[in-house]
Parts: sequence; C-alpha cells; structure tokens
Amino acid sequence: MPYLGSEDVVKELKKALCNPHIQADRLRYRNVIQRVIRHMTQGLDMSGVFMEMVKASATVDIVQKKLVYLYMCTYAPLKPDLALLAINTLCKDCSDPNPMVRGLALRSMCSLRMPGVQEYIQQPILNGLRDKASYVRRVAVLGCAKMHNLHGDSEVDGALVNELYSLLRDQDPIVVVNCLRSLEEILRQEGGVVINKPIAHHLLNRMPKLDQWGQAEVLNFLLRYEPRSEEELFDILNLLDSFLKSSSPGVVMGATKLFLILAKKFPHVQTDVLVQVKGPLLAACSSESRELCFAALCHVRQILHSLPGHFSSHYKKFFCSYSEPHYIKLQKVEVLCELVNDENVQQVLEELRGYCTDVSADFAQAAIFAIGGIARTYTDQCVQILTELLGLRQEHITTVVVQTFRDLVWLCPQCTEAVCQALPGCEENIQDSEGKQALIWLLGVHGERIPNAPYVLEDFVENVKSETFPAVTMELLTALLRLFLSRPAECQDTLGRLLHYCIEEEKNMAVRDRGLFYYRLLLAGIDEVKRILCSPKSDPSLGLLEDQAERPVNSWASDFNTLVPVYGKARWATISKYQGAEHRGPELPDTASFATSGPLIPEENKERVQELPDSGALVLVPNCQLTAEYFEKTWFSLKVAHQQVFPWRGAVHPDTLQMALQVVNIQTIAMSRAGAHPWKAYLSAQDDTGCLFLTELLLESENSEMQISVKQNEPRTETLNSFISVLETVFGTIGDIKS
Amino acid sequence: MIGGLFIYNHKGEVLISRVYRDDIGHRRNAVDAFRVNVIHARQQVRSPVTNIARTSFFHVKRSNIWLAAVTKQNVNAAMVFEFLYKMCDVMAAYFGKISEENIKNNFVLIYELLDEILDFGYPQNSETGALKTFITQQGIKSQHQTKEEQSQITSQVTGQIGWRREGIKYRRNELFLDVLESVNLLMSPQGQVLSAHVSGRVVMKSYLSGMPECKFGMNDKIVIEKQGKGTADETSKSGKQSIAIDDCTFHQCVRLSKFDSERSISFIPPDGEFELMRYRTTKDIILPFRVIPLVREVGRTKLEVKVVIKSNFKPSLLAQKIEVRIPTPLNTSGVQVICMKGKAKYKASENAIVWKIKRMAGMKESQISAEIELLPTNDKKKWARPPISMNFEVPFAPSGLKVRYLKVFEPKLNYSDHDVIKWVRYIGRSGIYETRC
Repeated sequence: MPYLGSEDVVKELKKALCNPHIQADRLRYRNVIQRVIRHMTQGLDMSGVFMEMVKASATVDIVQKKLVYLYMCTYAPLKPDLALLAINTLCKDCSDPNPMVRGLALRSMCSLRMPGVQEYIQQPILNGLRDKASYVRRVAVLGCAKMHNLHGDSEVDGALVNELYSLLRDQDPIVVVNCLRSLEEILRQEGGVVINKPIAHHLLNRMPKLDQWGQAEVLNFLLRYEPRSEEELFDILNLLDSFLKSSSPGVVMGATKLFLILAKKFPHVQTDVLVQVKGPLLAACSSESRELCFAALCHVRQILHSLPGHFSSHYKKFFCSYSEPHYIKLQKVEVLCELVNDENVQQVLEELRGYCTDVSADFAQAAIFAIGGIARTYTDQCVQILTELLGLRQEHITTVVVQTFRDLVWLCPQCTEAVCQALPGCEENIQDSEGKQALIWLLGVHGERIPNAPYVLEDFVENVKSETFPAVTMELLTALLRLFLSRPAECQDTLGRLLHYCIEEEKNMAVRDRGLFYYRLLLAGIDEVKRILCSPKSDPSLGLLEDQAERPVNSWASDFNTLVPVYGKARWATISKYQGAEHRGPELPDTASFATSGPLIPEENKERVQELPDSGALVLVPNCQLTAEYFEKTWFSLKVAHQQVFPWRGAVHPDTLQMALQVVNIQTIAMSRAGAHPWKAYLSAQDDTGCLFLTELLLESENSEMQISVKQNEPRTETLNSFISVLETVFGTIGDIKS
Repeated sequence: MIGGLFIYNHKGEVLISRVYRDDIGHRRNAVDAFRVNVIHARQQVRSPVTNIARTSFFHVKRSNIWLAAVTKQNVNAAMVFEFLYKMCDVMAAYFGKISEENIKNNFVLIYELLDEILDFGYPQNSETGALKTFITQQGIKSQHQTKEEQSQITSQVTGQIGWRREGIKYRRNELFLDVLESVNLLMSPQGQVLSAHVSGRVVMKSYLSGMPECKFGMNDKIVIEKQGKGTADETSKSGKQSIAIDDCTFHQCVRLSKFDSERSISFIPPDGEFELMRYRTTKDIILPFRVIPLVREVGRTKLEVKVVIKSNFKPSLLAQKIEVRIPTPLNTSGVQVICMKGKAKYKASENAIVWKIKRMAGMKESQISAEIELLPTNDKKKWARPPISMNFEVPFAPSGLKVRYLKVFEPKLNYSDHDVIKWVRYIGRSGIYETRC
C-alpha cells in the first residue's frame, strides 16, 4: 500500500476541524477543508473525519459547501448512517432562493451513492423538474437517471418518464439533451428512449440552438429514427447538411454517421457524404491537436477500406513529419499503404523508403512492413527497395525485410527469383527469433535456388545448442528436411547431426517430438516424406484479390464514430465480449472476429478463400501454357459460348491486369499496349478436368464498357458461369485499385 | 459519457480526481491503472486511447501534465478529445498556463469547474463566459450576493442564446480581431515543397453593449468573384489578392445557413474572447523563410554543415523569435560554429545546434556554417539525418488572408458602426516547419 501514514494526518485534521478558533475564522476553516480534499485526491483514506465534515456543511460559504459536498459524495457509501445527517442541510438548500445553491444541493444529493437516500431525494427532484430556473431543471433531469441507477433494476416510474418526455419541449437546450440522456438510462431495459416522428422533428428543429456536445448527442439519438418515406428522409438530410461542416470534428463525425445510416439504401448519397467530409477529415488529420488527428486517421482508414481511391490525390497530407508522435506516424504509414495507386506509387514509395532509416526502430519496421504490403500490387519496385535496404546491414532492418520477403514470396510467387538473389549474406545481421524463422523458412522452401543455402543452415545447426528460441529450432528442423529432399548430398550429414541433437540432447519437449516425428517419417521412406512435406510453396489467391475485396460502406457504418475504428474490429470484439451485450454491431460475427489477424492470412479472409473454389466447383490449373499458334487455331475453331459487357472506366493498365489474372491462374496470351484504341487482350485458362477457356477482351475507346467473349472447348455451363464470375472479381478489383 | 476525469503530473501523482459514475470500478484501481500502464510505461506512448481491463483511457498531454478521461462505454473518440481540449481551454482561461504549480494552486477552482462542466459524466455548459457566473473564484460573494447577480444567473440560464446574456453594457465599445496562423512546411533538400499548409484562426475579443449583430468580411475568393461579377476587370484585379480557403469552420454563433447561401459571415458574438473561425489553406502560401542546407561528410570523423536562411517578405516587416535547429549525429564530439547574425550554440543534450536570431527584416539572407567533429564508432548504423526545423513569428498572415471589414449593428442601443473602436492584428507563427537535409 503506497498510502500509508494516513492515521496521523487524519488525527491532526480532525483536531483542526473541531477547533472552535478555526471554525470561527472562515478562511482558516476553509483551508483545513481544502487539505482534507487534497489528501483525498492523493488517495489517503479520509473517511475518518466524516462527522466533522458534515458539520462543516452547515455554512453560508458556497465554496466551502461545494468542497464538503464533494467529500461527502466520495465517502457516503462508506458511512451511510452519518451521511443521513447531512440530508437535512441539503434539503434546506434545495429550497434556497438562489438557483445556484438549489442546483448544487440537488446535484450533490443525487450523487450520494448510498442505500436509503431515495426516499429523501424523490420530492426535491420532482420539485426541481418544475423549477423556474433552467439550471436547476438540468440538474433535476439528470438526477432522475441517478436515482434510477441507485434503485438498481427496480421498476420504472411511469409518471416520471412521462414528465421527462414532456420536458423534451423545454426551452433550455441543455435540459432537452439531458432529458434524452436520462430517459435513455432509465429505459435501458426496454431499449432506450423512443424517438418517434414528432420527437425526431422537434429535435431536428432544435439542433442549431444546441451546443456541440448536445448536437453530437442528438445526432446519435436520431440514428434510431427511421423516416417513413423517402421524401421525409431527404428532408432530414437537407436539414442536417450544415452539420457536416460544423467546427467541431465530433459533430462532423456524428453527422456523417447519421447520413451513412439513414442513406443505407442510397449508395450514391453515401459516396456524396464521404466526399463532403473529405475536407473536414483532412483538416482534422493535419490539425495540431494530436489526439484528434489520431482519431481522424483511424476513420480515414475505415473509409479507405470501402473506397480505396478516396484520398489518393491527397497522399501528401499523410507524409509524416519528424516531430509528430509515434502513434500518428504509424497510422499515417498505414494510410499511405492503403491509398497507393498507379499515379502516386513512385512518390509514396520514395517517402516510405526515407522512413525505413528512421531513428525509431519501431517506426522503421512499420515502414518496411508497409512497403511489403504495397509489394503485393507493385512487386518489382518494392522488392528492389527492400533489397537495397538489406545493403545497410542493420539488424533491426534486415530482420523485418526478411520477414516481409517470406510473406511476399507466399503471396506473389513471381518475385521468388529476386528474393532468392537478395538473401545470401543476410544471416549475419539477424539475431531475433522472428527474423531467424523467416530466413530459415525461405532457405528451406526455396533452397534449391540459393546456392549456399545448405551451408547457411549448417551454421545454424552448429550453433543450435546456444539457440534460445525453440521455435527457431523447430523451423530449422523442417527447413533442413525440406532442403534435404531437393539437395540430399549437401544436407544429409547436417540433418543427421541436427536430428541426433534434437532427439538426444534437446530438453524442450515440442522440439524433441518434432525431431522424433521426422526421424520416424524418414524411416518410412523418402516418398512418404515428400508426400507429407511438399506442400505448396505459395498461395497467390490470398494476396491481391482478397486484400482488396470490397467492403461495402454499410458493413461499417454502424461502427463509424465509435471506438471500433480506433481499436480495430478484432480488438474491440474481445473488449466488448466481456462487457455484455451492450454494444455489438449486428454485422459482427461472434466467432470469426476474435482471432487477431496474423501477418499472413487475416482470419476473416480465410473463410472467403474456402468459399472461392466451392462456388461452382471450378478449379483452374496453374501453369497451363498454351502457345500463341495453338491458341489461334483453337480460337478460330470454336464458337463463342458467352458474351458479356462489364462497366469499365478509364484506360487499362496492362501490367496490373496481367498480374491480377495470373494470380487466379488465367494466362495472358497477347495484349495491346496501354492506351491503344481499340484495346484488346487474349486470355486462356484450363480447369482440372482439362476444359479450356479462351477469352477475348475488347475495350472500344468511346464507350466505357469492356466486352468479353469466352469460348470453351467442352460446353459446360456451370463451370462457364463460375469462370465468368472469376473474371468479374478480377475486373472489379482492378477497377477499384485504379479509382 | 465520461466515467471519471483525472489529472496527473509527470511523475504520475494524482493532482485532481473526479469520479462521475460507478461503472469505472473502484476509484483507486482506475487511477493506478493509467499511471502504471501509460505514464510509467517504458516504451513511448502507443496510442492516445488505451484500453486497460476493458476500460478506455483517453489522454491529452499539456507540457508535463496528463489529463485522462475514463469510460467503460463505446463513446465517440473525437468527442472525448474535444471535451478534454475544451477543459484545457477553460482552465487556461481561468489561470493561464496549465502547469503543475497552477493546478495545485487552483485545485478548488478546478473541482468547481468539473462540477459544472460535467454532470453524471455528460458535458453540460462549457462556455467560459457563461461559466463565470457559476464559479465563485474568490468564494466570498455568496452571502452578500446581490439581487442583480442572482437575476443574471437566471437570465443566463433561461436565455435564448446560450452564448450571450442580455443587458451587457460598456462605456467604450471596442473589439479586437486577431488573425493567428500557423504555417506548416515540409521541404525536400532540393527546395521542392513536399507539403505545405496554413491552419489559421480568427480570434475575436468583443466588448460591445447590447445584442450587436456583426458582419465579417475577408478576401475569400468565392465572395470576391461573386461581387465582382458586374465589372470584369475588377475581378481580375482583386482576384490576385483573394485567397482560396480549403475548408473553414465557425463558432456556434455564426449563422451557417447564411454562409451557405450568400457566403457572408454574420453573428451575434459572445461577450469577451472567442474563436470566430478556423480555416485551412494550401494554395499560394507565402513561405516566410527558405532554408537551404548543405551537408558534406569529410571522411568518417567530420561533417561540414552550411545553412542559409532567406526571408521572403516585405523589407519593411520584421520577423521575430527566429530559431533554427540543426540536428547533429549522436556521436558528435565537438562543434565549431560561425554565424553572421544572432547567436548559435551546440546543445549536446538535444543533439542539435540551436541558432537564434532576435529580429530579421524581409528580403534578407543569413548564414551559419559549422564543423562537426565525430567520434569514430563501430556502430554501422547510418545517421538518419533528421530535418532542420525552424521557429519564427511574422506580423502578417502567410495564407494571404485579409480582413476587409467587420461591421457592427445594434438597432436597440444608440451606437453605430463608426463608434466602435476596432483593432486588427495579424500573427503568423511556424507550425511544423521542416526542411530535409
């Protein structure tokens, strides 16, 4: 207990409070009381002088009164019997001619958190609700909520509720807002205050008169109201339009949320609103109030999930400044990573590269991960930057770069070659567990392309005794066994030594088990090992398409302007899980969202991955290479099986398109260069049954539509449909990235 | 809603603690949780919103003081931060700078304020002017409180306009307008502007009798183009002097509907000081200073730095409080500085050369050169070269904003626009003004 030694202090203060000389001198008396409060603030237990403080409440000095009431509200639950003595004074004050004294007394009386006080406060509250000074009415209205809280779950007093509903028409704005708050708490069991049409319209009319807190609160309550007709809906939106430009960011966000929710059936209105709040949001993002800036950035990220192109032209606003606090820099890097497009990718990467050598290792690593994120779309440029970073030979950079490479190779197999060339030499600069694991994994899986892979692993095996992380040893086992399959001669001896060590000397059970398992597996024959260990080396379908999958505005509108964007959805779910069903968005699936997103496969995406092959049982085979001649021959021999047009805006970026198609195992046979009119492309794909899909894309310059003709060598409609939907996804995604 | 509000000093000692709702748990637990997890945390602050045991702590730091609002509910983050800022503003209006000493000396007052501003965790009245009626700073008034003051409270609390009470009288009707701007810049070593913006505020101090109706005009591009529609050449002439405002927000008292339709700013001002508008511009910013850095590495143990600053405004104006901060590597062993003007010093504790100039006129140039000796190190880590930052104050608005008029009409009392004494002042300060090197 850090709060020892309170006894002497209490004794001394008690003496002082009882001293008639001090009591006679108002200033000295108040000074002693102030000391009591000061000790209370610091955490000393001051409940010992309760009796004396109650006596001190009978005074004409308002400041002294306030202090004593503050004291009583803190300690009343500990000394309920003594607190009842003060009630008399309080009741008397409630009928004081001065409204300020009345308000103060009523507020303090309602804040005495102790049993049995209800019977005394009921009457003063009712009087307060009808007081002629609005200051007292404000206090009384909230007093109703406090009284209800004290009661616990007891039944709702109907007469009181009606009185509060009628006070919604009070002429004082704060009384109105307090009424809403109070009703909300009293009626919580029944779903909160009811906002019907007359109330909603009344509130809308009062909005301009309210202060910013009131406005924000009312906007929140209005979420509950559902307009009867479209006409009414748009009337409301027009009325509220000016609040999107309010000087208070809180009100702007509240209004935005209300718009998004009310217009949930009108996507164009939603987009309009998001365009309108762009200015205020950007202003908040570059404001000097750091904390507000942070909150705004969180919401910008939320918007970017649905409209990836929304802030692209303002990318410079999200460049970090040297003196900004850490948390803002991290958010900005995330935002930059999400708004990158063909036009600004060069500048953004240039900027991010600068951050990679920042003094703060944390920030540097975040920047490197961000480059890794962008690399999923713009692989070549990013891999080059990352490779250059390895040249700096700094531990904290190298380890993160190697981790990024590991994730990247998994998602974008086309960069494997470049990564393999960059790896040699890294091992000298990696000391931490995560980095070592990544490097070992890469060496194991792609070891056949790295000439010195076995010798690097051998070094690791030499030092395995001093290895402190069991995870690294496990990774080493797997990697070495995999490499053994492709380069047996160079690995056999090392593998033997490692297995011997793991089985005979290692103390960690998990590692030992893994060693034994592999040993027995080897006994079962090399084919069996191959069958078990040769899993795929990459899974590109997770990368590009899944990351960019469109999230409709409606999926997060109800979370906008709450803590959800600040904490992140997954984290909020864990927090709110224990808090009971107080807040849970209907779209929050209970099971999936608890898992924190891993670096490789975000949990929510996993489900979608599984869905993809299921939908129509279409599995396209990778590496189906047709020659151009064969394609031409087949193309002319077949009839068009399906023709369709997709909406398309602007020019085509052939590289992006080709990469995206490659990811879903559709090969490009030929393609016009960018900007050609008309623009054409020929694609081919093959599914696991051997059925060929040949496709022609045609984009005429005038109309904004992409015409697609598909030919099939075996007429099967169900796979054709799923092939078309795959194409559709690709075009949808590309369109998104572009805009 | 806010469950509790705490104020700490930099050591984590509680200066003020006020609990509004029971749901945040036992008072001491909440207070200690924030201290241990945030103030005493080893690494830097990860986020201004911290969740500890399913309770959210929102904090704002002012110099050495931490203000933390605590809640269990799913609240609007922006709103809570705004509230904390407001709290800081109100406190600053009462006792100036928010420092440990001031807070300790005024703790009674702060408790009084907390009592009025929040009730049951809900924000109530937060306008400084309106609050003054409730707060008994000296506290001796209560007994002899005059009838007049009592009626003031009543009229204030029943008044139609929340921000102004009726019956205000001044012998001299006076108003002060301050255009306060902070100019932010990020420049590349080659002198290319990476990003620049001005965030400005128009602060008004009004001492006007009655319920005056005010109209404020500035050289906003949209307004000027609208007015100049008739005469084409006037538009082109004034077009140069007008500015494009990216976005602006106003004090509650400004009639937004009128601004939307006519773009005119009219209002009944609160009494005393308030912030009339807040705006942001990004186009045609006058950058008051240009910093030209030149860094040369001579071998492994020596750096030569030359920095030129050029002032870029009218020669008749004077910039003040100029400070240039040139970062030095961590392994600096000694520095020799030569500067033409002002004083320069190497501050080892801050790893920077700080160059201060008291005053500098426009269109001038000044230069500093420094030789930095480095200790040879084994550390392969390259020095990241933080940007050169600058602070200054200039007597004009870098955005180019000009106040064109501020008219006052009070139909009921007999004073006219001409009788009001008006003062306008422009101050441009540096925000984050950085040049990379």
